[in-house]
Amino acid sequence: MKPFTDEQEKSLVAWTKKYPYTNLGLIEALRSVQGWHRMITPEAASAVADIFKLPFNHVWGVATFFPTFTRWKTGEKRVGVCHGLSCFLKGSNKAEWCLEKTLGVPKKQATPDGKLSWETMECLGACEQAPALQVNDRLVGPATDEAIAKLKDMK
Amino acid sequence: MTKILTVHFDDPKLHELETYRRLGGYEALKKALGMERKALQEEVVKSNLRGLGGAGFPVGFKWSTVPPEDKVPGPRYVVVNCDESEPGCYKDRVLVTRAPHQLLEGLLIASYVIGAKDSFIFIRGEYQNQYDILEKAVAEAEKAGLLGDVRIHLMRGAGAYISGLDTALLETMEGKKAWPRQPPPFPTVAGLMGKPTVVNNVETLSMLPFIVREGGEAFAKIGCAKNGGTVLFSVSGHVEKEGVYEVPMGTKLRDVLALAGGVKGGKKLKCVIPGGTSMPPLLEKDLDICLDFDAIRAAGTFLGAGGMIVLDETVDAVEVAHNIERFLAHESCGQCTPCREGSNWSERILERILEGKGQAGDTENLARVGENITGKVICALGDTVGMVTRAYITKFPDDFKKRVPNHG
Amino acid sequence: MGKTVKYKLNGIEREAEEGRLVIEAAKDAGIEIPHYCYHKALGNPGNCRMCIVEVAGAPKPQVSCRTSVREGLDVKTDSDLVKRAQASALELHLVNHPLDCPVCDQSGECGLQDYYMKIGQYQSAVREDKEHKGKRIVAGPHVMLDQERCVLCTRCTRFVDNVTKTHELGIFGMGHSEKIEVTPGMTLDNAYSGNVVDICPVGALTDRDFRYKVRVWYLDKTDSVCPGCARGCSISVHTNTARPWHNDGKRVARLKPRYNPDVNGHWICDDGRYGFGNLDTDRLGKVLRLKPQKAEMTWFDMSKDISAMLTESSGAISVVASGMLSNEDWAAYKALFVDTLKVSGHYFSAEPDQLGEEDALLRRKEKVPNLKGAEALGLKSGSFDDLAADLEAGKIKTLFVIERDLSEVWGDRAASLLAKARTTILQGPNKYSLGDDFTYRLPATAYVEEDGHFTNFEGKLGAYKKALAPIGDARPDWAIFALLQKALAAKAVAA
Repeated sequence: MKPFTDEQEKSLVAWTKKYPYTNLGLIEALRSVQGWHRMITPEAASAVADIFKLPFNHVWGVATFFPTFTRWKTGEKRVGVCHGLSCFLKGSNKAEWCLEKTLGVPKKQATPDGKLSWETMECLGACEQAPALQVNDRLVGPATDEAIAKLKDMK
Repeated sequence: MTKILTVHFDDPKLHELETYRRLGGYEALKKALGMERKALQEEVVKSNLRGLGGAGFPVGFKWSTVPPEDKVPGPRYVVVNCDESEPGCYKDRVLVTRAPHQLLEGLLIASYVIGAKDSFIFIRGEYQNQYDILEKAVAEAEKAGLLGDVRIHLMRGAGAYISGLDTALLETMEGKKAWPRQPPPFPTVAGLMGKPTVVNNVETLSMLPFIVREGGEAFAKIGCAKNGGTVLFSVSGHVEKEGVYEVPMGTKLRDVLALAGGVKGGKKLKCVIPGGTSMPPLLEKDLDICLDFDAIRAAGTFLGAGGMIVLDETVDAVEVAHNIERFLAHESCGQCTPCREGSNWSERILERILEGKGQAGDTENLARVGENITGKVICALGDTVGMVTRAYITKFPDDFKKRVPNHG
Repeated sequence: MGKTVKYKLNGIEREAEEGRLVIEAAKDAGIEIPHYCYHKALGNPGNCRMCIVEVAGAPKPQVSCRTSVREGLDVKTDSDLVKRAQASALELHLVNHPLDCPVCDQSGECGLQDYYMKIGQYQSAVREDKEHKGKRIVAGPHVMLDQERCVLCTRCTRFVDNVTKTHELGIFGMGHSEKIEVTPGMTLDNAYSGNVVDICPVGALTDRDFRYKVRVWYLDKTDSVCPGCARGCSISVHTNTARPWHNDGKRVARLKPRYNPDVNGHWICDDGRYGFGNLDTDRLGKVLRLKPQKAEMTWFDMSKDISAMLTESSGAISVVASGMLSNEDWAAYKALFVDTLKVSGHYFSAEPDQLGEEDALLRRKEKVPNLKGAEALGLKSGSFDDLAADLEAGKIKTLFVIERDLSEVWGDRAASLLAKARTTILQGPNKYSLGDDFTYRLPATAYVEEDGHFTNFEGKLGAYKKALAPIGDARPDWAIFALLQKALAAKAVAA
């Protein structure tokens, strides 16, 4: 079975052409795959390798290296709470606990309906909004109990 | 106090091209395009502008190591490093959010000097909001015909801190693991796809419009010896007013702390991490040191990327050291053994100590392991692995004493 | 050759080619700098940090695999700083190493053990539990992977990426969680897979064939040449005679490549490496007459019998041989069959039985080592089809077969063709499938039991040495030819 729709495949091919060199689009292409599948499987990485004309072990090496790419299925909304030093000082531990309790799943595991998953992340570059909370690569502000409670209703 | 980058930050529409231009934006680019490239580079040399991404390398000198086109023909590139990811650092996020055109103007000036026709902004993937802002700004600038013959490419990272190191950034861009290269050759000679490449930080490039407009000497005069202009500190932790503060190079640590309203709740200061968590902390007694690349180095730490974290007296140094080592161990790329094994080992020793299972000799061992890593690894991340443990052990013996039997 | 420059190594002024890596220059000067990741044929990623040296004027220690010799370079490989740096790099390699040497086949030739004895010898400071990774992973038909023992030097991944370009291994994961794995969906089954075992400096990649067979310190090593194809790769034959009850009672434990920049570089193929089974099985050790009834003979009686028979069937003799013969064998062959017996029917060309795959790296399609040796003496092979026709037509009275399995040349027809000749002689180390159908069977030594030379397809000479005593009464082919020659001469004198 093909891992991508025709539409998706087209957009992956587009990444091979966006930059002056083919390989420069690889990380972006894998970001797309992560977005569509909410994980990267060997099958998908292998198909990407074919599109980029790269050896599969190279692409799989990259896909397993970067923290953005997962081998577990994230929720549609991938929630991250920062536990860098500033966020740790401002109670990231408590936010983790609150996330687990509110979403009802341990970290790195999606809710049964697949809508949400949460994980701790390394510095999100928002130390003044500690403990920083992000959803799908967008900062949403401090991970207060209220902010976490709102995640479930977030569109 | 003199400001350069944040001068117009009170204007809520600064991120829009129209506003930026109304405030004099892109005039410097126009001026630059009318100047000799050599003369522009001279201005940058004169300005004493240093690389504000953390290395503090003189920018004019870095540029001068790009081989001239008649010697090495073919494309050359300018890459903006917007992969800010060290705990404590968020000034690039603020700069991109508030003044994207200032960065683009700086990038276009640099591209002109270097002769780059393709320039890149590598932005960390978690800055999706900022990516959108930049995408819009580039489109605006392009529509206004400001890009000339330069193509600006945006590219997102994938969550690895080490991608922020110039050579690891180039590897990431090339679709590889972010394993740092081992110069020589340096990127200015063989960078992206082996072509001469200048990698500069967001803040560094954002300084260029001012330097072109006012001249290198005027910029140099704002700072102190060999450290021209201003520097941004993103302050967080136990302070009254967290935020980004722009101060002239060489400003005293005490003054920056005052700008942020001092230690929160009137508590006593434990220490200040000056440039991001990889940098050894400074103590109360160090408050009068001047914040520039050279003076701070003499105090045994680094300016880094201006990620200042203030810790009050309630903080346990063992917990801090563990938090930082955990970060470094998580972000170690795994390429070279001492960092890969040593960071994880250090983290696990600290974790055991935190669990109340400290044993006699643990701190000595930590310090020894640290010493065995620093200076013997491929990149700067590895160096900091050892630096951090040793700094906290030496500076906060009492905290370790509480948890480790017989700690001297 | 670049320009020669003067530099200082441990305070002594030396000369080296400008740009030569310090690790190599030091080796030239007899100083072995510890290293795992550096490999002459696979590059210098500089990730193991073991080869650290002190360079005068450098702010910090440098890795010698990435430092080049230049005029005036002052480098130390033995200072206290270097010793400390190397010992600490080793310590960090061992933090999570399982230390399972007692059950590890690499024991005795392991980079971790060797350097521990040389530069380590510290008390372990590790109080944490070892981290566990995968063990006993079957990487492919020949190779076993143990991730816990791996030091992540990347030699094996560079081999499959750059040498074979087959990409079956990779480092997957990041930082401390990274490990060598077989690429998902693949097996390490390229034609050169065994080389990863040789280049692995530790016990992470081991030979399945050699697994738990014999401790390496019981092995004797003899320089040899692989007889597996016309490349004639330089190899080392590892034999176990010290503990005959080990290695399932077999004498040859394994074959390893021997570095030869002119022929095979560092590598050999798997066919050659693992194709030594017939050195200890199916061997001939007795001089036998099989027909009309089976009888053991002495070499002397045999030589009298056969020389008489050869004289008698003069003009109706054909000889089947193969490129397995050494240059020495071919010379004696020529003296006997061409010069003395004037035989015109020589058949030794590589037929489908001795033809196989070839590639751009090492493997040649002729799966015998020394057709060139026959060519050099002016010997020409006739066609096996013609030989078959001659046998059918009853034109051949005596058929002499040397180191060849005719059933693999002629298939099912072989036995009936053989029956057409009045007298048939099989000479060789192995019995092969038709070994019982001959009139005489003469045991010859295998290449590991004699000294000799092969000339490879490019005309390059390879010398192999005697690693083992012959089995039973076996003699080298050339000695058998010489014996017959002597018997013929004696006969002539008597006549």
